Amino acid sequence: MLKLFETEILSLDKLTDEQTAIKVKDFSVWLNNSLVLNKIDMRIPKNKITAMIGQSGCGKSTLLSSFNRMNELNQKYAFSGEVELDGRNIYNKKENVAKLRTRVGMVFQRPNPFPMSIYENVCFGLRIQGKTERRMLDDIVETSLRNAALWDEVKGRLFDSALLLSGGQQQRLVIARALALKPEILLLDEPTSALDPLTTLHIEELINQLKKTTTVVIVTHNMQQAARVSDYAVFLHQGELIEYSDSDSLFTMPAKKQTEDYITGRYG
Amino acid sequence: MRKFSGSEKQTISSFASGLSAAILLIVLISLVLFIVLKGSAYFWPSQVFKMITYDTPNTEVSVFVPSSIDIDEFNQALSNKLNAQFSNSTLPMPLMVVEKVDAVYQISLHSGAIQYGKFQQINTPNRERYQLAALNDVVADVAIFQNQLHDIQTNYLTVLHRKIALLNQSGVGEKAPARLKELEQFTFWQQKAEALRQKLASYHLIFIDASGQPFDVLVKDINHLFQPNVMSLFDKVLYSGNKIIEFVSESPKQASTSGGVFPALFGTVLMVLLMAVIVAPFGAMAAIYLHEYAPNNMTTSVIRICVSNMAGVPSVVYGVFGLGFFVYTLGGSIDALLFSDALPSPTFGTPGLFWAALTMALLTLPVVIVSTEEGLRRVPEGLRAGSYALGATKVETIWKTVLPVASPGIMTGVILAIARAAGEVAPLILVGAVKFAPSLPVDGEFPFLHLERQFMHLGVFIYDGAFHNQTNTEGSSMMFASCMLLLIIVFILNLFAIIVRNKLRDRYVRI
Repeated sequence: MLKLFETEILSLDKLTDEQTAIKVKDFSVWLNNSLVLNKIDMRIPKNKITAMIGQSGCGKSTLLSSFNRMNELNQKYAFSGEVELDGRNIYNKKENVAKLRTRVGMVFQRPNPFPMSIYENVCFGLRIQGKTERRMLDDIVETSLRNAALWDEVKGRLFDSALLLSGGQQQRLVIARALALKPEILLLDEPTSALDPLTTLHIEELINQLKKTTTVVIVTHNMQQAARVSDYAVFLHQGELIEYSDSDSLFTMPAKKQTEDYITGRYG
Repeated sequence: MRKFSGSEKQTISSFASGLSAAILLIVLISLVLFIVLKGSAYFWPSQVFKMITYDTPNTEVSVFVPSSIDIDEFNQALSNKLNAQFSNSTLPMPLMVVEKVDAVYQISLHSGAIQYGKFQQINTPNRERYQLAALNDVVADVAIFQNQLHDIQTNYLTVLHRKIALLNQSGVGEKAPARLKELEQFTFWQQKAEALRQKLASYHLIFIDASGQPFDVLVKDINHLFQPNVMSLFDKVLYSGNKIIEFVSESPKQASTSGGVFPALFGTVLMVLLMAVIVAPFGAMAAIYLHEYAPNNMTTSVIRICVSNMAGVPSVVYGVFGLGFFVYTLGGSIDALLFSDALPSPTFGTPGLFWAALTMALLTLPVVIVSTEEGLRRVPEGLRAGSYALGATKVETIWKTVLPVASPGIMTGVILAIARAAGEVAPLILVGAVKFAPSLPVDGEFPFLHLERQFMHLGVFIYDGAFHNQTNTEGSSMMFASCMLLLIIVFILNLFAIIVRNKLRDRYVRI
C-alpha cells in the first residue's frame, strides 16, 4: 500500500490541502516596472520534486524566489496575489521573513560558501537561531553533510576553509548548509549549471534522496535533468504558466504546442 | 612636420611612459636616500677642525668647528664660499686656514651642549691627581658625592619640608618645640647638602679652547668625553649606537638641537593609534550606511560626492575647525560641565591629545569611508543572498558575512589614514601638538592616559627643527634624523597594517 502510494502520481487538479506544499494564487510580479510574472496559479505537491523549465527570462527564477521572498532584495520590486504555505499567505504583513527562510531553504546557481570553515558554514543558520550547544551542532553537521553526500570527503578537515573545496563539493556544502535547518521546502536555482556531469549526477541522486522528507522545487535549463529528476514539471513562457503536469506526460506528450516546441529545442 | 607611422607612435608612447615611470622611481629613491644619508650623519661622530681666520695681519681668531666631511672637502667648500662672497667685492679676501688637531676633545654635557677643547688638567679639592689617566677615579668620586647629595635631598630634605608644611597647615605656632626641632634638622641637612655641592663644584677639568684660552668644565656636568679625530672605527660604531639609543629614548635638549626625540615619537604613535581607533569604526559605519542602507537616489549620490570632496579640503581648515569647534566649543562645554572647579584655567578647553586625534580622525574619515565602500562593493552578491536564504536578518548578514569579507577594504582605509595622520603638521599645531611638552600624555598617575594634555609630534618637531636650519648646523642634522625616524615610523605602522590586511584577505577572500 505504502509503495503504491509513493509511486502514485497525484492528479494536480485534485490536490488536497494536505498534499499541497505551496499554493500560488493569482500571483504577479513586476521588476523595474515591467511585468515578469503574470497571474500564476498553481499548487506544488508535498514531498515531490517539481521542475520549472522555460527560456531565460521567462520568470522561473523569479517565481522560485517568490516562495521564500528573496525577490524583495531587489530594488523596484512589486507584486500582487498570494503565495500560501500551510494555508498561510507568506506575503502577509506580519510574516517573519527570516523565519520563513529557515522553513524554505534555497540553493543558488553558483556555489556561495561563506569564507569560514566547513563546519561553520553548515552551522551558520543554526547559530543565527541562537543554537550553540556543541554536541547538537556536531550531530547536525554530520547528518547534514551525510545527507548532502559530502561527509566522507570532508570529515577529516571540517575546520579547513570552505573556499578550498572544489566547485562540486562547494555546491554540496551549500545544500548541506540549507539542510541543516531541516527545511520543509528546498528551492534549487539551477544547482548544477556550473558543475561537471559526474558531479551533476551526484547532486541529482542527492535530490532524489531528499524527497522523502522535503518538497523540492528545481529550476533547470537541462531538459534531460528535468525529465530524470522531477515528478512534476511546469513550463513557463514570458511570465505565463503554459503547462503544468506530471513530468512523464509533459516530456512525452505535451498538451500545448509551445511546450512541445521548447522541449524539442525548436526555440529557446 | 613629418607624420609618425603607427609603429613609431607605439615606440614613442612606450618609451615616454617608461621614461616617466623611471623618473618617478629615481625621484622616490633619491628622496629616501637623501633623508637616510643626511639623517644618519647625525649619529656618526663628526670630525673637529681648527679654523684660524686672520682678519687683519696681526689678529687671529681661532675656533673649533665640527664637520661631517673630511678636511679636503671642507677646504674646498670653504674656498668656494669665500670666492662667492668676495670675488665681486672691494673687500680683501680674508685668509683662513683649516687644520686637523688630533688632541682636541669633544665634551658633551648633560645639558646637551657640546664644547671642544684640548685637555690641560684635572682640578680636585685635595690636589693630588693631575693626569687624564686619573679621570675615571675622579668620575667615580664625583658619582659617590652625587649619590649622597641625591640621598639627602630625597630622604631628608623633601621629607622634612613636607613635615613643616603639615605643621603650617595645622597652625602650629612659630616657636613650638616640634617646629623648632624640625627646622633645626632641616638646617642641618641643608648645610650638609650645601657642603656636598661645593665639593662637587671643586672637581673640574680645565680645557684650552682654539684660541688658547683655558675654560672650566665641572666633572659632574660631563656626559661623554672623547677625541673625535682619533677614534677607531669600532669606537665610532659604538658611539653611533649609543647616540641612536639616546635619540629614540631621551627628551630633546638645548632647544631641540640635541638629545632625543622620544616624547615626539611617543606622541606621534599614540595620536595615530587613538585616531585609528576613532576613525575605523566611524568610517566603517558610515560606509555601511551608504552602501547597505541608504536608498540609491540623488541624496545618497550627493552625500558620496561630498565625502570624496572632504578628502580634498586643505588640512589647515580641519585644524581651524578642530580649534574652533572641538577645543573651544566642545572642550569649553566639557569644562563648564565637569571641571568647573578648575576654571578659569581650562582642562579640556585647550588644545590637547584627544582633540588632535579627533581632528585627524575627521580629516582621514573620507579615506576610510571611500575604501570601506570599495571593500563592500567587492563582496559578492551571492554571499549576501546565501546569508539571507539561511534566515539571517539584514544586521546579521552585514555583521557575519559582509563585514568580514569587506575587512581588508577597511584596513586599506586605515593604512592610508595612518600614513596621512603621521605626517600631518598644520592642523596638529592648532589642536594640540607643541614644540616642547613638559610631560608625556601617559604616566603612572590616574587615569594614566591624559587625553587633555598637549603632546609632541614628529612632524611638528621637524617643522620646528627646520627653523634652526639657517643658524645652527646641529639642529638641521637632528631635523634630518627626525625625518628619517618619521619615515621609519610610517613604514612600520603601514607594514603592520598591511600584514593584518593580508591575513584578513587570506582568511576571507576567495583564493
